[in-house]
Amino acid sequence: MIELELELPLASFELRVAARLEGGVTAVMGPSGAGKTSLLEAIAGLRRGVRGRLALDGRVLLDSAAGAALPPEARQIGYVPQDAGLFPHLTARDNVRFGARADAAAVAGAVATLEIGGLLERRPGSLSGGEKQRVALARALATRPRLLLLDEPLAALDVGLRERILPYLLRVRDEWKTPVLYVTHNVGEALALSSRVLLLRAGRVEAVGPPFDLLATTGMAHAAEAGVENLFSGRVRAHDVEGGVTIVEVPARQGLTVPLAPERDIGSQVTVAVRAEDVIVARRAPEGLSARNLFEVRIATVARSGADVTLRCSPATSQPTPEWIVRVTPSAAASLGLAAGQTVFLAVKSHSFRLL
Amino acid sequence: MIETLLSLPLVLPPTAVGLVLLDALGRNSPLGGLLASRGIQVVFTWKAVVLAMAVMSFPLLVRSARTAFEEVDPRLVGLARTLGCGPVAAFRRVTLPLAWRGLLAGVVLAFSRALGEFGATVMIAGNIPGRTQTLALAIFHENQLGHDDRALALAGVTTLIAFAALWTAEWFTRQRTRRTAA
Repeated sequence: MIELELELPLASFELRVAARLEGGVTAVMGPSGAGKTSLLEAIAGLRRGVRGRLALDGRVLLDSAAGAALPPEARQIGYVPQDAGLFPHLTARDNVRFGARADAAAVAGAVATLEIGGLLERRPGSLSGGEKQRVALARALATRPRLLLLDEPLAALDVGLRERILPYLLRVRDEWKTPVLYVTHNVGEALALSSRVLLLRAGRVEAVGPPFDLLATTGMAHAAEAGVENLFSGRVRAHDVEGGVTIVEVPARQGLTVPLAPERDIGSQVTVAVRAEDVIVARRAPEGLSARNLFEVRIATVARSGADVTLRCSPATSQPTPEWIVRVTPSAAASLGLAAGQTVFLAVKSHSFRLL
Repeated sequence: MIETLLSLPLVLPPTAVGLVLLDALGRNSPLGGLLASRGIQVVFTWKAVVLAMAVMSFPLLVRSARTAFEEVDPRLVGLARTLGCGPVAAFRRVTLPLAWRGLLAGVVLAFSRALGEFGATVMIAGNIPGRTQTLALAIFHENQLGHDDRALALAGVTTLIAFAALWTAEWFTRQRTRRTAA
């Protein structure tokens, strides 16, 4: 539980943020210059002149009324800036081991989670953007932080690299269980990763809530940038070389048929992504369709966002998660008469699925 | 203010600095008297040479050190703090290693200034062969006496020392660059 009640004068406005955030991933969104980075720096203790109160799981980090303010080194908050901020004079290994609380077990765990074992002897200057981000994430994780602050960890990367980092963020979320505040401009990332969105505008909280519920708000529409709305973690079950497909087993879901990827070992963990607009909706079970993936789901919510209609669907077989995020045009939604509570079929071509 | 005061010797004629030091440390001044009463003689000894060189070259060291420290990205220092380092540890583990090259350049610069120091030294330490005569002073001295060959030899020695200092600094910098780039 993060309790925030912060005030910080900035150049053009004052940042005033009051919120109580449960664990899990919170996406911090909003237009450029809304104060997102300033908020993260204030929480990390890297800004002077912050007033108010900040508590993490009941532990008070800042209470300016009582004259209490822990310095950054005592807050146990991991921070990864947009450009990774690796120490250029140290190898990747020494970067990861840098933290004062980074014991051998935590370092080994972080190295394994982010799969940077092969990079450890290299210096930051010779690492690619994505590799730098993974090393920086490992460096922060190795200190066993009570909260992880990620400032647009993917923004500096091109689309392909971005998608290759996403699985690592999923692993940090699911295996380390560290609460995360995550700045992003990408609605797809927010939908795929976060339990809630904190929407900032000109230093104020415009809204807090589940990402799907905020899709229709103007702030989200403003920040909108298409991405990977649906991310599924699973294991490779089989390769069908003749058929040109690979089957990925996803818990609580039937197998996904994706383009053949023989380089992935059977049983290895993979992440499958599909864009919300690449999912086809049918009111009745379609026949003679070339799409290899067909799922029966129930529409949970229908939201109008910008020029699109976005659906949130849960598996018809009553498991609460995982969900599907599907985007259709208003015209399609109208002609199919889509509404919450309906059972529909989702079809996805194998080639719309991407293995990350 | 302090910075400006420290930088004054860079701008003033060295002889003026030497004169001020001579007046401040001479037997008739309060400070000089105090030192003399404890048996410490500064003026016209090797100590005066060291003092003159230090006062003249220190501003260069301070200026390049300041630039070197300013060039270290303050965000990296902040990150070190979030990783559990106190201010002192962050300085030792991040600021210092990253400013190292600039500091070395400052040391070399200060050293070369000290090597060429003439005006302030001759004022406060005199030019006593075997006691306060520096290489720079000796070159002038021999030349005045008409011993051009000896002056030239001394100039050669000075060149060697200067070359060795610059080369060492260059070598250190290269090592560093190679490691960072590797």
